[in-house]
Amino acid sequence: MTTDIATFLAHAVALEQEAAERYAELADAMEVHNNKEVAELFRKLSQFSQLHLEEVKGIAAGYELPQLKPWEFQWQDGESPEAAPSERTHYMMTPYHCLQLALFNEKKGHVYYADRAYKATDPEVKKFAQLFADEEAEHVVMLEKWVATVKPPAEGWDQDLDPPGDAE
Amino acid sequence: MNAPTNLTAADFKSDVKPIWCPGCGDYAVLSSVTKALADLGKPREEIAFISGIGCSSRIPAYTNVYGFHGVHGRALPIAAGVKLARPDLTVLAAGGDGDGLSIGGNHFMHACRRNVDMTYIVMDNQVYGMTKGQASPTTAPDWCNSKLTPEGTGISPVEPARLALAAGANFIARGFSGNPNEVARLIVEGVNHPGFSFIHILSPCVTYRPEQREWKNAVHAGDATPAQLIAEAMHRLAADDGYTTGVLFAGNRPPFMPERKVSASFADLERKFVS
Repeated sequence: MTTDIATFLAHAVALEQEAAERYAELADAMEVHNNKEVAELFRKLSQFSQLHLEEVKGIAAGYELPQLKPWEFQWQDGESPEAAPSERTHYMMTPYHCLQLALFNEKKGHVYYADRAYKATDPEVKKFAQLFADEEAEHVVMLEKWVATVKPPAEGWDQDLDPPGDAE
Repeated sequence: MNAPTNLTAADFKSDVKPIWCPGCGDYAVLSSVTKALADLGKPREEIAFISGIGCSSRIPAYTNVYGFHGVHGRALPIAAGVKLARPDLTVLAAGGDGDGLSIGGNHFMHACRRNVDMTYIVMDNQVYGMTKGQASPTTAPDWCNSKLTPEGTGISPVEPARLALAAGANFIARGFSGNPNEVARLIVEGVNHPGFSFIHILSPCVTYRPEQREWKNAVHAGDATPAQLIAEAMHRLAADDGYTTGVLFAGNRPPFMPERKVSASFADLERKFVS
């Protein structure tokens, strides 16, 4: 039988899985475009999401999770909140942009869980949603500290001396 | 029919890494396709994925099913041939707006009216990306960022969904790459609907059309119930702003499938050449 907590945990698993997959995809894309430094950073972020995924899977192990179709997940924007929006990427993006993107995602993750905790009527869902919201809040603080150590790029960071449209 | 498989979306991704620009909508379409294939529950060897030429036409290489990267604009006749020769296969074709609506425009029209049971995905970014950013058949007439059309094309763009309906497509849907889970649903519905299914996907080109990043604010869900009558669908599409997503038309024409019978034996054919 599908319970509120099982459905909630299915969402939590998908959230981390999609975050890990998206970061890995972005790492591959940056590698292809020879942006090695950012590729490495995205790879690292993917690994972090993978670790969180294992953690959530561990919590969910005792429950029979529903097999939801991709479009049956109840995400506010159609996509899971921590899947990095690809339109916020650029082939010349810098580590600063990459960390800003990660921070944006973590903040969305925090808002998602905080909202679930606030609205939940099932005490178990409330408990885990609050736990995950607190964890996401910690990630936000960690990332803010990390971003503070990275110098913002100078203006014109996206100026390509050999731009894609130049040879038309 | 085989029992459903337990393959996941990841099982339908190949080891080939996409070379699309970071931020390209086609990454999300690839994710939608693999999610849809996993949901369909068919084994990989029962699926064929055919494409033409262009950025988006690289997609079969990134999937783990039978693939054929065909000739420019010719994805549909190849796909139709595959389906007619092997009706047991689930056949998908894919490409961009230039490949499908200009170079392959004639094939598109006839594929719609022929109504062979297959699904055609057009990733529309309103530009020729692979050849460095020229106006395509879906480009607005006043887009003047290409040196080839410095004052815009001045030509009304093709409206893919309207064209498909007028030509006889049996299922028409539109999705936005920024909502890949919804696009996965549309692909599944298209594959499951008998006949020719056309899935029009707004897929931004962040390199030559960076303003398309704003599409996420323009798209809106359409009527939850798809039009089933052509007249009703035409009425809806006439008022459409091009950003309505969802199933736009689900018709009930039977798919085209010629009777498969042996008309001559090999011996008969051989005799014709020998005598």
